Amino acid sequence: MKRFAADLHIHTALSPCASKDMTPRAIADAAIRRRLAVIAICDHNAAGNIAAAREAAGDQIAVLAGIEIMTAEEAHVVGLFPSVEAAVATAEEVRAVLPDTTEAASRKFGEALLMNANGDIVGTDPKMLSAATSFSLSETVKLIQKHGGLAIAAHVDRPSFSVISQLGMFPEDVVFDAIELSTAPSSLSSAARLAGLGLPMIRSSDSHFLNNIGDAFTVFQMREPTFSELALALKGVSGRRCCRA
Amino acid sequence: MNLSQIAEQLGLKSLTPQISSRNSGDISGGHVSDLLSDVLANAPSKGVLVTIQVHMNVIAVAVHADLSAVIFASGKTPEEAVVRKAVEEKIPLYVAKEPAFDIVGRLYSLGLRGPRA
Repeated sequence: MKRFAADLHIHTALSPCASKDMTPRAIADAAIRRRLAVIAICDHNAAGNIAAAREAAGDQIAVLAGIEIMTAEEAHVVGLFPSVEAAVATAEEVRAVLPDTTEAASRKFGEALLMNANGDIVGTDPKMLSAATSFSLSETVKLIQKHGGLAIAAHVDRPSFSVISQLGMFPEDVVFDAIELSTAPSSLSSAARLAGLGLPMIRSSDSHFLNNIGDAFTVFQMREPTFSELALALKGVSGRRCCRA
Repeated sequence: MNLSQIAEQLGLKSLTPQISSRNSGDISGGHVSDLLSDVLANAPSKGVLVTIQVHMNVIAVAVHADLSAVIFASGKTPEEAVVRKAVEEKIPLYVAKEPAFDIVGRLYSLGLRGPRA
């Protein structure tokens, strides 16, 4: 059993609000500099740059496939998947309920850049990725889990776009696999309230800029830096666990 | 002004006729927000909530915040399970065709006010 530092919420230039410097190679380099062993690529409502990020990283660092879906209630949910294909299949269902982007939206929110491993722009995503989907929170979590993914309530300690900011409390009918804290130091009362949910807690950077990668991370004790080991660590199976968030 | 008078004045459609016909007592205030964390923190007790948020949690939050009723604006209608929960918790629900801006303006002209800042 080894310990691995993981930052499981990083955007690429495909997210309209992320820096254009968030290229596959630059992200991998920054993550290695910050001594991370695992990262997850989670763009807004899209999965088009994960394969490039994985290729750019090679075997230097583990790159997990993820997505950050905006629910109809405008809460963010991170999905982490066993494969790039599962993330892409999820993204296909998400894009079916997203509006097309407009020139004005691209100017205001930024372009959604598809890149290859070298960071060359190979296209732009025509969907309005910064928009909310029509999937409710419950439907979103079920969609992620249907594709074999882990559903994580994103940055629950932030005042916007979180389950708590939008819905006041965690709904009883939605079963998350974990909750994610942000870089913000949590107050003791909110930490206690979140701990009361009985869900594994991780901490991730939600980086939109290179210099934020690794600002928050979680240390996992597991056999190897893979999705399946991570899923077991969240459940605390056979000595695997989240050691520090 | 009680709830049934407000509903009549604004032409609201009741989703919970089983409970909303009861005399609610005088309603003097309310809150407009779609962020339920904000409703929990700022809605006045016994007030009405005007929102387009139709998630189930609206009911739990209405109970917590001790609200008298919820008015869904812009014709937004919650799922049947939400209505059932509202009946169980005795929270009257209404739907207004008009957007929240207009509904709140009309409530204000009827004398309802937000909490003092």
